[in-house]
Amino acid sequence: MAFLDTSFREIFAAQMVSIFGGLIAGILLAVYTDKILLIPGMLILLPGFLEMRGNISGTLASRISSGLFLGMIKPSGIKSGVIRANMLASFLLVIVVSFALGILASLFNYFVFDVFIAKIIFIPVIAVIIANSVEIPLTLFATFYIYRKGHDPNNIMGPFVTSTGDITSILSLLAALWLV
Amino acid sequence: MKDIITHLEKIRKLERKRLHPLIHEVHKKHKISKKTLLYVKEYGPHSHALRTIIRESIKILLLASLISSFGGLALEHVKLVFVSILPLVILLPTLNDMLGDYGTIISSRFSTMLHEGKIKSDPSKNKEMIKMYKQILAVAMLTGIFSASIALLISTHSGYEATPEIILKILLIIAADIIIIVSLLFLIAVNVGWRMHKKEEDPNNFLIPITTSLADFGNMVILFVLISMFF
Repeated sequence: MAFLDTSFREIFAAQMVSIFGGLIAGILLAVYTDKILLIPGMLILLPGFLEMRGNISGTLASRISSGLFLGMIKPSGIKSGVIRANMLASFLLVIVVSFALGILASLFNYFVFDVFIAKIIFIPVIAVIIANSVEIPLTLFATFYIYRKGHDPNNIMGPFVTSTGDITSILSLLAALWLV
Repeated sequence: MKDIITHLEKIRKLERKRLHPLIHEVHKKHKISKKTLLYVKEYGPHSHALRTIIRESIKILLLASLISSFGGLALEHVKLVFVSILPLVILLPTLNDMLGDYGTIISSRFSTMLHEGKIKSDPSKNKEMIKMYKQILAVAMLTGIFSASIALLISTHSGYEATPEIILKILLIIAADIIIIVSLLFLIAVNVGWRMHKKEEDPNNFLIPITTSLADFGNMVILFVLISMFF
C-alpha cells in the first residue's frame, strides 16, 4: 500500500496533461474577457458549455472504445453505420443541450438581473456547431488511432478530450460572438 | 466457442427491449458480463443506435448543464470583482476540468471497488478508500498549486500587479476550493454509491455525471464565497 504507487503516478501524469488545455483556454478567456465574460449571463453559460464537450465527446470515445474491445466495431470500420449514428447522436445532443443552456442563461438574466439579451441563446448553439465540427471527428480519429497503436483509449481519451475541448470551445465561442 | 457465438448472434438480433431474459440466461451459462451483453444488444443490427444514445443521454446531460449553470449564477454576482483578478480567470477552466476529472476518478474507482467486493461494510473506514482520498487530495493540491503558479506567472508577465498579499489570497482560495470539493465528492460518492450498490444497481451510471456537475457547481459557489470573503 505504498502512497506513491502506480495509481498516484497515473492520475498525476493524466492531470498534468489535462491542465495545459485548461490553462490555454484560461489565457484566451483572460485576453478576451471584454468580449466573452463581460456579456451578461456568460458565467452562467460557461461552466455547462465547457462541461458539455467532455460529457459528450468523452462518452463518444468511451462507447467507441467499448465497441472496439468487444469486436462490435472493426478497427478499420470508421465509416460503419454505428459510427455514423454515434457521430450524428453526439451532434444532435450538443445542439439540443446548448440551446437549453442558452434559454437557461437568458431566463436567469431576465429574472435575476432584469436584462434580456437574445444573442445569449444563439451564441452557444453556433459555438457548439463550430467546436464539434472539429472536436467530434478529432475524438473519433484519435480513438481509432490509439486503439490501432495497441493502447487502451479509455486511459488516454479523457485528458485528451478535456485538453483539446477547452481550447476548441473557447475559440469557437469567440468565433460565434464574432458571427452573431 | 461456437455455442457462445451463436448465443451472441441471437442477442445481437434482439429487438431493443429492456432486460430481455436471454441476456440473463447467456450471462449465467457463459459467464459473460451483463454489461458486455447489453452493449451487444444495444448496438446490434436491430437496435436504433442514434435513438438509443439520445434517449439515454439527454436527461442526464440537461440535468448536468442545469446544475453547472446554477454555479455560474453565483459567480455572475461577483463578476466585476472576478474578472479583475486575472489569475483566477486563467484558472477557471483548469479548476473546472480538474475537479470534474476527480469526480470521475473517485466515482469509477469506488464503483470498481464495490464490484470487486473489496468493500464489505462502512466504506468510510475502508483502508483502501482512505488511501485513495489522501492520494487524490495530494495530486489535486500539487496540480492546483502548479496551475496557480503558472497562472500567476502569466498574469504578472502581462502587467497584472500581484502583491504578496494577492498571491497568498489566490493560493489560499485554490487550496480551500480543492480541499472542500474533493472531500465533498468523496462524501457524495461514498454515500450515494454505497446505497446504489446495496440496491444492486451500477453506481457508475449515476455517480459520474452527478459528481462531475456537482464539482462544477461547488467550484463556482465556493469561488464566489471565497472571492466575496477575500476581495
